[in-house]
Amino acid sequence: MNLDYTAEDEIFRAEAREWLDANIPREVRPPDGPGMREFDLGWQRKQFEGGWAGVSWPVEYGGRGLSLTHQLIWYEEYAKAGGPNAELLFVGCNHAAPTIMARGTEKQKSYHLPKILSGEVAWCQGFSEPNNGSDLGGLKCRAEIVGDELVVNGSKIWTSSAHLADWQELLVRTDPAAPKHKGISWLICDMQTPGIELRPILIMTAPGHHHFNQVFYTDVRIPLSNVVGEVNDGWNVAMSTLGFERGTAGMLENIRYGAVVERLVDMARQRLGASALENDDIGQRLAQLRAEVTAVRAMTYRIASRAAIAPPGSEASLARAFFSQLQQRIRRIALDIIGPDSIELPEDDPWIRPYLRTYSNTIAAGTSEIQRNIIGERVLGLPR
Amino acid sequence: MNLLPTEEQQQIVDMVRGFLAASAPLERLRPDKFGQIGNPDAALWPKMAELGILGLGVPEEGGGLGLSAVEEALTYIEFGRALVSVGVLGATLGAHLAARTMPDIAAAIMAGTSAVGLATPRGAVAGDDGIFSGEFHLIEANEADFIVLLTSDAIALFRREEFTGQSERLSMDSHMRLMRAALESGKPLSWSSVKDGIDHARANLLIAAYATGVAEAALAGAVDYAKVREQFGKPIGSFQAIKHKCADMAIAAEVASCQVSFASVILSKNSDESRFHALASRIVAVDAALKNGATGIQVHGAIGFTAEVEAHLFVKRAHLIDFIGGDQRVQKGQFIGADAVI
Ligand SMILES: Cc1cc2nc3c(=O)[nH]c(=O)nc-3n(C[C@H](O)[C@H](O)[C@H](O)COP(=O)(O)OP(=O)(O)OC[C@H]3O[C@@H](n4cnc5c(N)ncnc54)[C@H](O)[C@@H]3O)c2cc1C
Repeated sequence: MNLDYTAEDEIFRAEAREWLDANIPREVRPPDGPGMREFDLGWQRKQFEGGWAGVSWPVEYGGRGLSLTHQLIWYEEYAKAGGPNAELLFVGCNHAAPTIMARGTEKQKSYHLPKILSGEVAWCQGFSEPNNGSDLGGLKCRAEIVGDELVVNGSKIWTSSAHLADWQELLVRTDPAAPKHKGISWLICDMQTPGIELRPILIMTAPGHHHFNQVFYTDVRIPLSNVVGEVNDGWNVAMSTLGFERGTAGMLENIRYGAVVERLVDMARQRLGASALENDDIGQRLAQLRAEVTAVRAMTYRIASRAAIAPPGSEASLARAFFSQLQQRIRRIALDIIGPDSIELPEDDPWIRPYLRTYSNTIAAGTSEIQRNIIGERVLGLPR
Repeated sequence: MNLLPTEEQQQIVDMVRGFLAASAPLERLRPDKFGQIGNPDAALWPKMAELGILGLGVPEEGGGLGLSAVEEALTYIEFGRALVSVGVLGATLGAHLAARTMPDIAAAIMAGTSAVGLATPRGAVAGDDGIFSGEFHLIEANEADFIVLLTSDAIALFRREEFTGQSERLSMDSHMRLMRAALESGKPLSWSSVKDGIDHARANLLIAAYATGVAEAALAGAVDYAKVREQFGKPIGSFQAIKHKCADMAIAAEVASCQVSFASVILSKNSDESRFHALASRIVAVDAALKNGATGIQVHGAIGFTAEVEAHLFVKRAHLIDFIGGDQRVQKGQFIGADAVI
């Protein structure tokens, strides 16, 4: 075991720090809408031009081809520098791209990967349906093969940023007669295709916050060449993406939360006084949170150490399940420190909206209950 | 950067695990084989000494094996899994404290010929410039020549005679022997404060590692049982109420083990961050041991409430180690007062 970085790693870190210092956007990120799209894509473009967009992406797809340790160093410096949470890019960079890299055709790779990395396009994820959330494998959105096209009919829901995205990773049922996990295909869907309609869905964080959508498909024609992997093998293709999401994709967030806890400690010291804090219930809870978020960093390092040997498996659910609930506890304590004024929702608000937002952390990308099922069955070997 | 054991480190873990499986199986703690008070582990010390385990992290010039806090922490996880008497902690910490200035005492401790008990405060401790006064519990001290005292801000090695009014008490953790005693301006043979060096941080790290082992063993026992015990025609592990409890135990144990590894590497560098990371590891690991110990009993049902299986041992040991040098409340007070490490 060691936490040593090579001289070359240290040079990489210094370069990252220097570049971030000079280039991090100073303006506030718009919370929604076309302004947010422009902000996120512009920032991605800038990182790409600086050579920082795909640190661990293979060189052939425009990345730097460096190790996960380098990626981790980049994330650490990014978090320290207070880099923006450019959520719109998440699906493209962390889901669609790794999936296309692993299972796509040469043509799909050469067309889509450079566009994703250089911040030309945004992607969204069309997996969940009104009647199939946790039970994703039972999805019903239908695609019939007609000639060299797929004709899609049905609906997806909770599609984050569908209204701002150019492309979608879309799971459809191509063989209704096959057992449920065997009749699914993974498609690349152009969001401008005729027959796609969106219904905005407002979320709980603030009045008028849009965030996600229901998406309706009426005779939407998608070229067969947009299937990633084999027709009817989409479940396996999708699982490779979910594995990635539960493993390394959350690293930046994990590291970022250490700074959130320290801001809370400072705020509590100011309000309660340093010595009072040591004997106060809030101080006790903050100490617990500080220890836990410190441990999350250690977990992140262990995941990176394991990933150097083999891709993340089910054990990545341990960190994910822990971290999503820890985020909720961390954001919750802010209200207790702020006190009565926490029922106000100021325009410039670092605590209340992020607190409300954490209610989704134990739901999106597999609920905590589903994560526990995975841990129980696949990590501990308990019967189904 | 790599937070997984190296091949050599894994060999040490396997060696210790193999030794404990043969010499200290958990069944040794069942009442049908041994009495209520005392424990059979005194017999382990000479054997552990032979393997070099008692002086594992003591520098070679001090007569130890000269390995680092990483190897020490890995072996302490194994001690926790096997519920080895916490007297081992007295031996390790005592050997470190003695090695620098009292080579004969260090040698006797590492050879397993001088046992070392632990002292932990029952209330406020007055400790000015290495003179200590207060009321204490002594753990595993009955046959000990020396005592390691751990408070929230100091660690000190005493001759046992220094403690007055030694009187036996029954311990909640009935395999550990317990006494009350006092120090009136007691003078240690050797001591260091939380501010100098990593002696104090090492104590917290090893308690954390031991607690991690307790949490892992409680988890393993619960999972094994959930796979074989059937109700309603199915293994109870198929019920989500049980499965999710086991998943939460697995999460707690993983959190603890990762932070213990991280902290052990920090300590092995003698880093300024040692105290911070050791405290963080202690807080999450003792939490895991307490929670997993309690949950493990529930997963077993009535048999978990008996002395005939091991389930009850983990939570009791977790409570005992929680108090060594100050319980979670004390540690969290210390930790929130510490400067941030980013
Ligand atoms: C902010 C946010 C953004 C999202 N973005 C996207 C997106 O971009 N694209 C996309 O495709 N999806 C997205 N989702 C959807 C998300 O993946 C689903 O919400 C999630 O998979 C759960 O499905 P559900 O909401 O239908 O809940 P349900 O599956 O109906 O679950 C309801 C409750 O039942 C529990 N439950 C269900 N099954 C089990 C079981 N077997 N065992 C125990 N408990 C169970 C759940 O844990 C939950 O508590 C997003 C969700 C949120 C909150």
